[in-house]
Amino acid sequence: MTITLQPVMVRPSPNPGGDVIDPVYRLIRDLVYKVSGIYKAEEKLYLLADGCGRRMKLVGVRTLRDYWERLTAQPQRDAELRELLNEITTGETCLFRSQPQLDALRKVILPELVAQKARQITRRLRIWSAGCSTGEESYTLAMSLLEESAGLLKGWIIEILATDLNDHSVETAKAGVYGDYALRNTTDYFKRKYFTMVDQKKLQVRPEVRKLVTCTRLNLQDDNKMLFMKGMDLIFCCNVLIYFDAASKSKVIDRFFSNLNFGGYFFLGTSESLMKLNDQFHLIHFPGTIGYWKPSLDSGKL
Amino acid sequence: MNPTLAATISERVQRIKTMPAIPAVFLPLLKMLSREEVQVDEVVRLVSYDSAIAAQCLRVASSPLFGMAQPPKSIKGAVMSLGLRRVETILLTCCLGQAFPSKKWALDPIVFWRHSLGCAMVCRKISEKLASADREKAYTAGLMHDIGFMVNCLVFSKEFAPVMERACREGVPLHEVEQDILGFTHSDTGRALAEKWDLADDIIEVISHHHDVENSQKAQPLVALVHLSDLLCRMRGMGYGYYERSKVDLIADPAWVILQQEYHDLEGMDLARFTFELDEAVEEIHTLVSMVFGPAPATSES
Repeated sequence: MTITLQPVMVRPSPNPGGDVIDPVYRLIRDLVYKVSGIYKAEEKLYLLADGCGRRMKLVGVRTLRDYWERLTAQPQRDAELRELLNEITTGETCLFRSQPQLDALRKVILPELVAQKARQITRRLRIWSAGCSTGEESYTLAMSLLEESAGLLKGWIIEILATDLNDHSVETAKAGVYGDYALRNTTDYFKRKYFTMVDQKKLQVRPEVRKLVTCTRLNLQDDNKMLFMKGMDLIFCCNVLIYFDAASKSKVIDRFFSNLNFGGYFFLGTSESLMKLNDQFHLIHFPGTIGYWKPSLDSGKL
Repeated sequence: MNPTLAATISERVQRIKTMPAIPAVFLPLLKMLSREEVQVDEVVRLVSYDSAIAAQCLRVASSPLFGMAQPPKSIKGAVMSLGLRRVETILLTCCLGQAFPSKKWALDPIVFWRHSLGCAMVCRKISEKLASADREKAYTAGLMHDIGFMVNCLVFSKEFAPVMERACREGVPLHEVEQDILGFTHSDTGRALAEKWDLADDIIEVISHHHDVENSQKAQPLVALVHLSDLLCRMRGMGYGYYERSKVDLIADPAWVILQQEYHDLEGMDLARFTFELDEAVEEIHTLVSMVFGPAPATSES
């Protein structure tokens, strides 16, 4: 049988350069996942490659094989992994970073929480942005919830706690002033409604948004202070746990679990996961995103 | 379902035989798939009847999803390097797409094929993690699970349009709206067509019960697998093209328990990582669907 073949469609290359990805990057990807829970998908491998490239230049390593050595052999292994994680996670912070997470919050979680808490006397929603950095996520949450304040959340008290280890970040968060880069995902609608102009290049979050957010310094490994963060409905902790070793990570996650109300949700960064560090949380799929759920008392799934 | 409705479904499904466009090889191929022993020459002969289908199969075989780097030069060549079962699923993929060309689609057919092929792929990818699962059977079950959707479009087009419209508007699962408005679902109409086509019993079971796994009598693990894959697809941008306002707790799903009882290796599966890996494969699905059915439109799903 002879068949004339038509042109074959070629799958888009995962790396814009069109080169074949060095399999060592996949080893590094798996290593990064193992220590941090961050997964760089095939089409994002070039980001990992860029990060490795910058590190290799800085430490003077010529080949990727040698860099793999550096990432896996003592004594510099842990320090180098940490530096690499810094490379591949910086620059990701901006307002409205993960639309699927915000959609899940507004379209799925809020109606559920509101129904669940309808019988309570005080209609209060407590949200914690743990490792808030310079406040982008906290204000994004505040604005998203304010959008519901005339409807679903009418008459509700909203409290957002924004904490970070770094004093400087906390101060920046309090000011709520952002430039173009941080605002690159913010629509004109939100800019007009919730920001005032500081100067040509910067906008500040309006006082009515800022008053929902309390920014303080907190070390997630400080057990005493963690005890006071009780009664949360939602905890967001994006790209923070990656810097913790497995033992302290697992301890912090257990704390988050006990700080959440029953029926509350815990979110990580978009490509982050808890792996198998905690078996009390339920992994929940929402359209386009995953989160973790502390089963409610009446769910019978405890 | 009441007897009158069942009779209506049966009567309308009988009309489908007058569809002119079903490739001649399609029904014999389905028959062949349900048999244990298949002859290589028999498949090659069957496919050679339809050179358009044969050419398309050879192109599709080079998709990353089917694992050939270079398109094979002949069907026989494909059988030799891919194995007969794999070639059958490729053939089925190509034929099924052509079996339902219709102007009556209640949904962009590309979106529908992304869902069906996506589900087929997820079924196979989960099976790959389970040592004793039949991967090609899983693929076929995933591919065929929603044929009832096409039946609805073809012979219930007037009744089905408002169902689709309401599902999109309210963001609720399609089968719930079908049951509510029509009194039957695509599982019922799919079953009628599957029986008419004399498909294998386990495939009929999947088509009939992928939304109520507990009620399936035969092949329950396969039905459970398709149910879970269907949910995952709908949560990862390969659903029916609209935002479903729902969350999925896979591990708490009865289908997960059923699958776990059959395959103990399911327990070790890192579901979060599996989800991230699926996102990589979404690109492959889009490419494959454009290959078989034409260019892909933008989707507003997530």
